[in-house]
Amino acid sequence: MTDDLCHESIPKSIDGVNRQLNLVDLTLRDGEQTAGVVFAQGEKVRIAKLLDEVGVRFIEVGIPALGKEELRSIEAIANAGLRAKLIAFCRPHVREIQWAAERGVDAVTISISTSDVHLKSKLKKTRKWVLESIVKCIDEARRLGLEATASAEDASRTDVDFLVEYFRTAREAGATRARFCDTLSVLSPFQTYSIVKKLTESVDIDLEMHTHNDFGMATANALAGVRAGANYITVSINGLGERTGNAALEEVVMALKCLHNIDLGIPTNRFRELAEYVAEASGRAIPVWKAIVGDNVFAHESGIHADGVIKNPRNYEIFSPEEVGLTRQLVVGKHSGSHTIIHKFREFGIDLTQSEANDILAMARATAVELKRALFDKELMYIYNDYRRSKT
Amino acid sequence: MMGRLWIDDTTLRDGEQTAGVVFANAEKIQIAKMLSEIGVHQIEVGIPAMGGDEKEAIKAIVDLGLSTSVLAWNRAVISDIDASLDCGVDTIAVSISASDIHIQTKLQRDRQWVLDSIKESVDYAKRHNLYVSVNAEDASRADPEFLIHFAQTAKDYGADRIRYCDTLGILDPFETYWRIKALRDAVDIDIEMHTHNDLGMATPNAIAGIKAGASFVNVTVNGLGERAGNAALEEVVIALKYIEKIDTGIDTSRFRELSEYVARASGRPLPTWKPVVGSNLFIYESEARGSGALVDPKTYEVYPPSEVGLHRLFIIGKHSGPKTVKHKLQEYGLPADSKLAHDLGCEARSLSIKLKRALFDSEVIELYNQIRRSRPDNSSSALPKNNQPSHLETVKGRTNDR
Repeated sequence: MTDDLCHESIPKSIDGVNRQLNLVDLTLRDGEQTAGVVFAQGEKVRIAKLLDEVGVRFIEVGIPALGKEELRSIEAIANAGLRAKLIAFCRPHVREIQWAAERGVDAVTISISTSDVHLKSKLKKTRKWVLESIVKCIDEARRLGLEATASAEDASRTDVDFLVEYFRTAREAGATRARFCDTLSVLSPFQTYSIVKKLTESVDIDLEMHTHNDFGMATANALAGVRAGANYITVSINGLGERTGNAALEEVVMALKCLHNIDLGIPTNRFRELAEYVAEASGRAIPVWKAIVGDNVFAHESGIHADGVIKNPRNYEIFSPEEVGLTRQLVVGKHSGSHTIIHKFREFGIDLTQSEANDILAMARATAVELKRALFDKELMYIYNDYRRSKT
Repeated sequence: MMGRLWIDDTTLRDGEQTAGVVFANAEKIQIAKMLSEIGVHQIEVGIPAMGGDEKEAIKAIVDLGLSTSVLAWNRAVISDIDASLDCGVDTIAVSISASDIHIQTKLQRDRQWVLDSIKESVDYAKRHNLYVSVNAEDASRADPEFLIHFAQTAKDYGADRIRYCDTLGILDPFETYWRIKALRDAVDIDIEMHTHNDLGMATPNAIAGIKAGASFVNVTVNGLGERAGNAALEEVVIALKYIEKIDTGIDTSRFRELSEYVARASGRPLPTWKPVVGSNLFIYESEARGSGALVDPKTYEVYPPSEVGLHRLFIIGKHSGPKTVKHKLQEYGLPADSKLAHDLGCEARSLSIKLKRALFDSEVIELYNQIRRSRPDNSSSALPKNNQPSHLETVKGRTNDR
């Protein structure tokens, strides 16, 4: 793994991206490939429509090799009249590309492992076979009027010189894009930067980042690739994908916006809705702490945080809850302070004195410790009623 | 270059500060013990100034006499430090905001007041022989010049380290690297990373800080913490080991056990896809990956499941094919030729689509029996009864998550 770069030489911003930055959503492909997840055809069409509505311009819709049900789903999405470009995911088999074309997609991703470990122990093929296969498949795709992305599976464990050769060969054969897959998620953002930089400097082709989250680095690595000149990012809603998943659509979009001032023009206020739909359809509930769309992201309990938020939300919020379709909540629990109590009761139309707030806070904290959780608003009112009664 | 690296776990403080989470004191003690057993160097156990139960729990943890250092969280206020002294901890964190937005709108003070508070509290704590970390809250939005001043003041009054808090999670790893490097170059004091996951960057930012010279990292089990949480202990330790080749010496084989315990105690179940400890991590359904892993697990695994206390498991679903089917049948001692594996694969995929989930092993075996029965060469009618996979013990109690 290369990590010999001088970090100071990395550009301070990624504003300099001179190619159009695009998202390729894989919820329906890598997302569904997650062990245990199956979408119904109707759900697939709905997810594709939702993605299209929020302006995702590239959607990978399925894997022709999976058989007739999958092909029917692909066809149903192709017939939905979407603006997005629809992509089928194929192994380097000409017949799979033909099936994809028959079902009306616009493009194919042709995936071939490029690392020696995959070539030797999984495919039992040579590098020469890889190059010949990609040319043959791209030729077929072009003959059928499809755009083609040459995907390098396990690219992050591939000899970089061979990767350059693979992408160069694909470009000469007429591929529109190259996909860099950190299949096992073995890279840090710095290593990602260094490898992708070499690729973008060596091959003049649109480069697509495909990252996994095994070490919690999917989003950071995707953006590191963009910093190094990649201009497509594969994402999935909620980060759904094999094992720990992929870079999450909502994280990538918000990180580009908040960290780099890059607005992809996506209506982020629909993120929670998208996340909920995919959570339901995939049977994978959104954890309350999920970055961007979790229930808890705008829930403030501790005295210090809640007090800061009451004075100015910017004290503890990067963006407003409305921006992602959530709402702010002040939670009363073990860590609450008296300002939260005063604020909370003002919402209920009750003005408390500081000493009343202190008394109620003590009761609320004791209750939270006893119940081992935060309190519901109703419980707070019960406590208030008990308190009033004790005073009369 | 990289010196010694210390892991400081704050599950019991920032973790419990999460809206809605409360640990019982017995749970706190259990978590503290487990953290100490696996070799975490320091644990942040709570906020003594809260008094009552919180203080009792802190005292009880101190009384355990663990091999790990015990840290208590304080505001930069003498009465908070007195409460910590009362608990008998060896280390305190003194927390104060470093950004103008916090100083002006939250504290409603000025920078000088912040510096004066640092002086007063560090001086007081050092006179009581405590190890002192000064936490720069919201450091990532602080004026870098002021932050240097802040750190220098802390050092001058005897503080042992600075905690750099990316309180809102607004940095990326590159920005983190440059900022920590600049701070490290300007002030000769140990730096601790405290990162948040609001934009999904907690772990990479923590590690970027370490690469830039930070020697402490503040983590929580499962990444539990305010809003989207903190950097997860298990992610940071495993990423350091396998990406950065830095071994923290922590016993990772108990990560799953620890994560399960904290998930239960916090009432926050572990998602099946949670990095490092999710139950889905070593489950193979798709033919492409399953067949690769069957030949050599290294094709799809960076480290073996035993490394973090998990198990490898093959399941049959929509994306399965003949090789994974064959393997699954072998687990149950069922013979299958290629034709049968292929047919069963087709049936299994259809059933999986119909049920909208992966199949249970019992369903796969039922399909197997159906296909065998419908075959003309039904001579071997003595189907194996009471099919038990050889590794049932390891599979027990695990579901294929749907």
